[in-house]
Amino acid sequence: MSEKKLHEDQKYIDGLLKNNSFIIQAIYDKFVPKVVNYIRQNSGSADEAQDIVQDILITIYNQCSHKKLQLTCPFDAYFFLLCKRKWLNQLKKISKKEVTINEDVLYKNDEAQELAFETSTFAEKEALFTEMFQKLGTACKELLQATFKIKSMDEVANSLGVTYAYARKKKSLCIGKLTELIKASPKFNQLNS
Amino acid sequence: MDEQNYIEFETYLSGDMTANEALSFENRLKTDSELKESFQLYKETTSFLEHTVKNEAETAAFKENLQKVSKTYFNKIKTQQNKGKKGKTFSLFKYAIAACVVLLFGLFMFNQYATPTYSDYSNYGTISLTVRGDNDSLLEAAENAFNNNDFAKADEAFKSLIVLDEANTEFKLYRAIANIELDNFETSDTLLSNLQKGNSVYKYKAIWYLALSKLKQHEIKDCKAILKTIPEDSDEYNQAQKLIKKLD
Repeated sequence: MSEKKLHEDQKYIDGLLKNNSFIIQAIYDKFVPKVVNYIRQNSGSADEAQDIVQDILITIYNQCSHKKLQLTCPFDAYFFLLCKRKWLNQLKKISKKEVTINEDVLYKNDEAQELAFETSTFAEKEALFTEMFQKLGTACKELLQATFKIKSMDEVANSLGVTYAYARKKKSLCIGKLTELIKASPKFNQLNS
Repeated sequence: MDEQNYIEFETYLSGDMTANEALSFENRLKTDSELKESFQLYKETTSFLEHTVKNEAETAAFKENLQKVSKTYFNKIKTQQNKGKKGKTFSLFKYAIAACVVLLFGLFMFNQYATPTYSDYSNYGTISLTVRGDNDSLLEAAENAFNNNDFAKADEAFKSLIVLDEANTEFKLYRAIANIELDNFETSDTLLSNLQKGNSVYKYKAIWYLALSKLKQHEIKDCKAILKTIPEDSDEYNQAQKLIKKLD
């Protein structure tokens, strides 16, 4: 990654991460019209385009806040690919009816393909983790939320009225439980294959 | 996976192991691929929880902000879309109707308020002087000049003809018209006034042309007064009345 040159459009990624309204607005003005056109031309509506765009921007935000997201291609290509893929997947899921897909708009940018793939994998993983977290017992959920919010295990132990060692043990078992749920999901194997 | 392993993962990650314990744990990771896989997922899950919980407030703020921008943007798009759907055919109609109204109004105004001009009424057409006699060549010259709108020449020819035939009212009328065309209003008006006083067949035509002469001289009041003297039973009555209305 390090030898790849950062694209100047990294400013959009950084702007999203900083929740910069001007950057968000600029993304809508510059890059969203193309997505809306594409979705409209492919059996979709403006409402559906709105949801797709919003979901993708949240995904990008999450990815760049969790790990570094370094844009090595134009934002336009990366963003459009993500929206397009998400829309095509949604079409496959929701409609059994025939779908006309306009494949004219394609990017031959490998860098964009790679980055978009990374981001969609991240999004799927995140969705899987979130789903499995909800399956944990209430005690585990509360403990994990407390430990990651407060950060200091001493404080967590104090607030729960238990010893540090016990709190740490509980935390490790809850995380362990979560990893088992994740591992048991068929989606996990798809993502890791 | 053994619960003991998770406790070990956590102890290692929180830095609570001694250097020796950590070293032996790392060695086990290198040899035991199942343990390594399990540890990797544990680390990833921890990192996921850390970020999700830590960034909860920021993420919520981002989503809220995003929603605002998104709503504004898409509302704009949707209203444009609706306008486009209804509008394209509708606005064409609207423009067409507006154009028609403007055009009709324009024509109406033009007819109503455009000052009538002499040329609108001077429809004497071509003349034909088929009188046989000694002065055929002169008659022909007068006729040709008049019909070719060479009014100066026509005036000269009619002047000569009138000298030869003083009583000819037809010549006088044509000479008067030629003089109106030449803006020699003194000559034309004198000729026409004389015709007006007489009793020739050209009496009312002469009055009509006298009125037109006044119109050309922008003497609207005189023009109207003269038009009003044209009696109902004359050929010129109807057009005289119309012109009076327009001048009002």
